[in-house]
Amino acid sequence: MAATATGVYQRTYTRDLALRHTRAEYFRLALVIAGIIAAPYLVGNYWLSILNTILIAVIGAVGLNILVGFTGQISLGQGGFLAVGAYTSALLYQRADLPAPLSIAAAVIVTAVAGALFGLPALRLKGLYLAIATLASQEIIVFVARRWDFLRDGSAPLSLDRLHVGGYEITREYFEWQWYQILVVCAVVSVLGARNLFRTGLGRSFMAVRDQDIAASAIGVNVTRAKVTAFAVSSGFVGFAGALSAHYTETVTWESFTLEISILYLAMIIVGGLGSIAGSVYGAFFMMVVPVLLNELIFAIGDQVPFLVTRLPAIENAVFGLVIILFLLAEPRGLDRIWQRMKDYVRFWPFRY
Amino acid sequence: MSRAHWAAAILAATSLVLTAACAPGGGNGGGGGGGGSGGPIKIGVIADLTGATGDVGTPYNKGMLGYVKWINSKGGIDGRKIDATSKDYAYDVPTAERLYKEYVNDGVVAIQGWGTGDTEALVKKVAADELPFMSASYAEALTDPKEAPYNFVIAPTYSDQMYVALNWIDKEAGGGDTQVAFFHNDSPFGLAPLEDGQNWIQQKNLALTMKPYAMPSGSANYVGLLSQAEKQGAKYIIIQNVSSPAAQVAKDIKAQGLDMKIVCLNWCADELFVDGAGDASEGHVLIQPFAPATANQPGNKEVEQFLKSEGSSLEKEGLHYTQGWYTMAVMAEGIRAALKDGGDLSGTSIKDALETMGAVDTGGVVGTGEVKFSKESHGGSTGTGIYVAKDGKMEPLEEGVTP
Amino acid sequence: MNTLLNLTVYGLSDGAILALAALGFVLIYKATGVINFAQGEFLLIGAYTLYATFVLFQLPMAASVLVCVLFAILLGVAIERLVLRPLVGESPISVIMVTIGLAALLRAVVQLIFGTRPVPQPAILPRTPVQLLPGTSVPLNRLLVIVIAAVVLAGFTLFFRRSRHGIAMRAVADDQQASLTMGISVRRVFAMAWALAALSALVGGILLGDVTEVSGRLATFGLFVFPVVILGGLDSVPGTIVGGLTIGLTTQYVSGYADPGLAQIAPYLVLIAILLVRPYGLFGETRIERV
Repeated sequence: MAATATGVYQRTYTRDLALRHTRAEYFRLALVIAGIIAAPYLVGNYWLSILNTILIAVIGAVGLNILVGFTGQISLGQGGFLAVGAYTSALLYQRADLPAPLSIAAAVIVTAVAGALFGLPALRLKGLYLAIATLASQEIIVFVARRWDFLRDGSAPLSLDRLHVGGYEITREYFEWQWYQILVVCAVVSVLGARNLFRTGLGRSFMAVRDQDIAASAIGVNVTRAKVTAFAVSSGFVGFAGALSAHYTETVTWESFTLEISILYLAMIIVGGLGSIAGSVYGAFFMMVVPVLLNELIFAIGDQVPFLVTRLPAIENAVFGLVIILFLLAEPRGLDRIWQRMKDYVRFWPFRY
Repeated sequence: MSRAHWAAAILAATSLVLTAACAPGGGNGGGGGGGGSGGPIKIGVIADLTGATGDVGTPYNKGMLGYVKWINSKGGIDGRKIDATSKDYAYDVPTAERLYKEYVNDGVVAIQGWGTGDTEALVKKVAADELPFMSASYAEALTDPKEAPYNFVIAPTYSDQMYVALNWIDKEAGGGDTQVAFFHNDSPFGLAPLEDGQNWIQQKNLALTMKPYAMPSGSANYVGLLSQAEKQGAKYIIIQNVSSPAAQVAKDIKAQGLDMKIVCLNWCADELFVDGAGDASEGHVLIQPFAPATANQPGNKEVEQFLKSEGSSLEKEGLHYTQGWYTMAVMAEGIRAALKDGGDLSGTSIKDALETMGAVDTGGVVGTGEVKFSKESHGGSTGTGIYVAKDGKMEPLEEGVTP
Repeated sequence: MNTLLNLTVYGLSDGAILALAALGFVLIYKATGVINFAQGEFLLIGAYTLYATFVLFQLPMAASVLVCVLFAILLGVAIERLVLRPLVGESPISVIMVTIGLAALLRAVVQLIFGTRPVPQPAILPRTPVQLLPGTSVPLNRLLVIVIAAVVLAGFTLFFRRSRHGIAMRAVADDQQASLTMGISVRRVFAMAWALAALSALVGGILLGDVTEVSGRLATFGLFVFPVVILGGLDSVPGTIVGGLTIGLTTQYVSGYADPGLAQIAPYLVLIAILLVRPYGLFGETRIERV
């Protein structure tokens, strides 16, 4: 992944280490920035709200990809860690009256610690055994969230006041719009942070562990440290996403953090591309937008084919399954790789390689 | 990072801040589109057709849409048709939140929800967006306008049903200390009526002792719980869960040859329980606020007629169809009253109308027959029917019982 | 009434069904190295195919079972051929994900065809109470479930020990390349593993559907397969039997003697405890890795 296209030569080390190498890449960056700024003006409130949920998903997916895609430690406990982040921030904000940025930061730390704790078994467990151990932690965390009265307001679920920091307040009128700004900043920071993590020694040690942990330890990588930090860092991102979603939705209920959510996030990074930060972003977009579009499509043609409308939900699940299967069969490295190939095709045209 | 990169980042940041100053037209009018002039009245329905509770969510949703079709065929409300959009959220809370926003964006004037999860997640949102919200979650907290100003509960709450169940058991057992086991879904939904129930026993000085047991989900039998209940000496088991596990309890009781009577609250008190348990359901008691076809209530006639014209019958669709039908009917009555009050249709006007319009007559179907809200309470009814499973049917024992 | 005996019979019968489901899981893992998250869905499909043939098409019992067996084998082979074979050699994460996708797809197809309501199916195994001790009686079907599962499991064990194909499967599980050089068709063994897994899940699904109900909930029962195989070791056939029975008994005892709500996470707590002590399960083979 550190490789660049042939024909691009760097003259200095700084250039070689740069995130972007070619003019086209800067052009694309400019397009993305323009797109981010223009988006809220182009779409209505409803699509803006979908964008907001996507942005939260992006942060969560980036976190999961650090663990699964970059460190090779499969985790089915995403939902549980989202819950830890959401409840921590919600409790501190609502019950302890901490300002939101502090409560969110605390949530990141608490989730990171929880992640490291649940990651301890990973020191001894590999692959499939680890997958099942994380499945167990998912079930246990949700069980606790469901049972513990402290996590509710009496008989009502834990609810949060609308986000306010000092004098800044989210207003009802511009709710989605203000959140869009906050979430864009958070998502950009997360993506850049994760991207840069893999240019540091620590990040590279994650990848060495993924590729061959015994070989990695032979060349001097501290495998224990790498695995535990990978769990902590990844969970930190996930906790961040969880905390943001708590403030954004203003209610925290255990029913939002089930195993299905864990699977949805795994699907995002598979579809986007394992071991690719850009892929996590594409995957989050793809998995959140497809069901919405499918819904609209079927409702649009529903008058002609009423069968589709009555069976829509089952079709939606079937499509979810099919998307995962087809992506894995057609391009196991996901959207990111497809995008690369499209670029290569254009670059090398008229030659095939 | 290169210098150019920094420049780009700074540019991006500044432009974000700048654009913040001139935000685009973001405000959501809380349903101006669906209210307004003489167009159709838009209502959003969040339904569970395929999720954990799809077996009962599907007929409930069909009942709602059935009522809409029926009222529209009669010319709608004051000549305006109801335009109900129903989408499945598969009992997945984030999906419910997304659908809710979609409906708000479409300019609906009211929302029909479904379960505990989505209802709880949306309480604050419907209050902020001023959209009346009804669902099939009958938790006590939702009837308090101070906590949930836009939520309306048309049926007796789980607590009310619990009181009725306890009173009935007390009467039936006829004095002496009677042991009662409370089997509940292992979640806030299952626990909802427990505390109120215990208080009720003390307050009314009932000669009952009730002990709670959580029902593990995904279990293939409930013999473990039953042996604990047996040790307690329980003669009655109140169940707050959905039908399938309750039917399993009934089967296990029969298989074990135990002498225990199940008293099902609401969500397991239906035809699914009776069918699912087969002959093991015989003699068990069902607390169900919505009259099934076998109760022959006048309010079921309209529903039956409509279903006949659709080539179906109430017996086939089950009582959750009626439940959905009348939930929508009460909402429609609120809309009718709001239009009469001054013609301006909005979430707030519907809420005010629901609070002030007086009782809606459901022809004996819901509770005591009438659903009535007030400014102080959004609990529409406290009455419920008591049925007994007999020959695979729900036979009425008592009707319109209040705690 | 003797509570302990009663709970034990129920725990064993649940455990026997779990063992059947886990057996298919282990077969696939042992022969092909794939961890199959769709095992619960195989249970679901097994129960629904019997419902379709026996109740909807009203075939006689023997004929419906035959049709179900054929269908299970076809399904297993088709899944292996279409979905898993292209992924041979991909990372385990991709393979796990593809079976998760498969699970979603299979569940959706069942839902498309049969809807979400539990479907009515008459009792297949007799439910007459059988007296074990004075005052303690259990329904006959629970005992029959244990017997049937035992017979099927014994059959599978014999198949592996004695039959040509069974030995070929064990050979492939042991060393793929060596088996290839010995002229064993690894492809056929892979297909066979999936077919047999679908078959054992078919039996499990039918039994489970009969003692509970035929509905979408059957798939969630499949999640307990994971604690079972961890306990028994992912690659040990006798381990599944021990694992299945232990998990079955544990949940039953917890729900009978402790807070019954704990019964649904008790298997996971057991699982974590075991993994902390023995990272390859109780009966799992310790892998020595070389770079």
